[in-house]
Amino acid sequence: MDYVVAVLAPQLLHGLVFGAALGLLALGLTVIFGLLGVMNFAHGELYMLGAYAGIAVIGWTHSFWAALVAAPLAVGLIGAVTEVATLRPMYRREPLYGLILTFGLALVFREGVRQIWGGDMRRILPPFTGSTPILGMTYPDYRLFLLAASSALLLAIWLFFTRTRAGIVVRAAVQDAEMLDGLGVDVRRVFTLTFAGSAALAALAGLLLAPVFTVYPQMGVEMILLAFIVVILGGMGSMGGSVVAAFVIGVAQSLFSLWMNPQRVAIAIFGIMIVVLIVRPRGFFGREGVLE
Amino acid sequence: MTWRAALVFAVLAALPGVPGISQYSLLLAFDALLFGAIAMSLDLLIGYTGLVSFGHAAFYGLGAYATAIVLERGVLSLWACLGAAVLVVGAYALVVSYFATARRGIYFALLTLIFAEVVYTFFRYTQTFGGSDGIQGLPDARLWPGAAIDTPLRKYYLVLTYLALAYAVCRLVVTSHFGRVLVAIRENEDRARFLGYSVQRYKMAICMISALLTGLAGAIYPMRSAFATPDLMLWTESGEFIISVMIGGLGTLVGPVIGGAFFTILRDKVSSYVDWYFIVIGVVLIVIVLFMPRGLLGFRRLLGFKQWRATA
Repeated sequence: MDYVVAVLAPQLLHGLVFGAALGLLALGLTVIFGLLGVMNFAHGELYMLGAYAGIAVIGWTHSFWAALVAAPLAVGLIGAVTEVATLRPMYRREPLYGLILTFGLALVFREGVRQIWGGDMRRILPPFTGSTPILGMTYPDYRLFLLAASSALLLAIWLFFTRTRAGIVVRAAVQDAEMLDGLGVDVRRVFTLTFAGSAALAALAGLLLAPVFTVYPQMGVEMILLAFIVVILGGMGSMGGSVVAAFVIGVAQSLFSLWMNPQRVAIAIFGIMIVVLIVRPRGFFGREGVLE
Repeated sequence: MTWRAALVFAVLAALPGVPGISQYSLLLAFDALLFGAIAMSLDLLIGYTGLVSFGHAAFYGLGAYATAIVLERGVLSLWACLGAAVLVVGAYALVVSYFATARRGIYFALLTLIFAEVVYTFFRYTQTFGGSDGIQGLPDARLWPGAAIDTPLRKYYLVLTYLALAYAVCRLVVTSHFGRVLVAIRENEDRARFLGYSVQRYKMAICMISALLTGLAGAIYPMRSAFATPDLMLWTESGEFIISVMIGGLGTLVGPVIGGAFFTILRDKVSSYVDWYFIVIGVVLIVIVLFMPRGLLGFRRLLGFKQWRATA
């Protein structure tokens, strides 16, 4: 029992916290893939840009909360400009081109950040400290906030896609963009706004996680692989699957690290994915016929 | 095309004789040609078969480690190094290609990427193989006892010979019936299957050829620089191979060689002036994808040259 309270429970919570943030990242990736057919290699860099934009805003305003609003907006704007300027011509081409274009964008963003802020590790302080007793242990308040905020966001996104007209339009565009165009919807604007939204979401995840992790130019590269795994595990194009898979990976990573050293954890995560793909090639909730 | 290739190789062979060529330039040429050979091998998959491998760095790195481990044990034969690379890379590629070719489209790219990341993580954290430092300070390999590959000139000719042989193999592949089936798979996989071809077996075969050629290039790399590090296997390295293919032009053999050489020299030159060369590389890549989707070689068509893509 002591082991459960002192070791297992906090680690499980860590896993949920990380899983929720990973879900935000993977959700953007999966929507963009479903809508634009582009596997966005620059998604990790948008996540990283969120943290750095946060550092900039905190520098001016000394407020984490101001950053939480401004940073995603700024990165969303970057996303919109990027989509219009570079991704638009890619939609009619083979997926290869989108993959490679976003790989180039990732290089530019990463190196650009290194030039502006340097390559050092940085920290963002949590906006509040302290801890709360929960389930017989004390847990840092900021992590609880992170879990609540990410979960609320995931719920909000789900409501957006199921209950609002704008969300339904985006889903319709995933199904059949041409038909939607015929119905008089400006599909190009839907694409741009969706990409901007996905970028803002990634930025938000980056800033929310920054007080827990450290901020450095390579941070996106390390996250994006996990996000890819989440997207594949969940079933490509399935938003619910991405969220479930994000929690599975978050918790698995967290629990494994109790018993293994970090590199074994990484290999175990890859191993899970490979096994799932062999047993269930479409991932948890992948639809039949999509991409197979 | 063959006479033109022969001409290119003749020019390359004469390169060290050009007055004013420094030892440094020869080593840069080594890198350029090695990168070109890898890009050419990768294009068998991307350009000819329509499979985007994001894990070629693992084949490259495994080849390099095979050489490093053999040389470290005091076995200095070039042939032992190459043999070890074929065994190691072949075994790994068999597993990866089996699972990766069972999926289409983006799955192939992601599976090759994730398998490569497993290999990278393994070498990065295994102290037996030097961890993040890799294996350093290797002795020179020998062609036969007494014939050490120890000067930049000899190293250059080693790579040039390899490139010529690899080109011959690739050309044999793409001009054969087998190569035509690959192009058919690229164009319409279902139709190829309905025609009775077991598509996955063809895909696996070309994956193995491409992986082994890349692994052999990897086996040659430590003979220039005397080390193998896990960074050779990082997925950004795979990205650079793809960039080289794109720069040169998909679906040709000579294009990626030019692309690989162009990329290597661009990186060397830009990085000696500014430390933000990745921005330059990234922008070059974006511009090429946007405005020259067929690469430098395909771009010629706009200038009035022949058809860009091998229809073989």
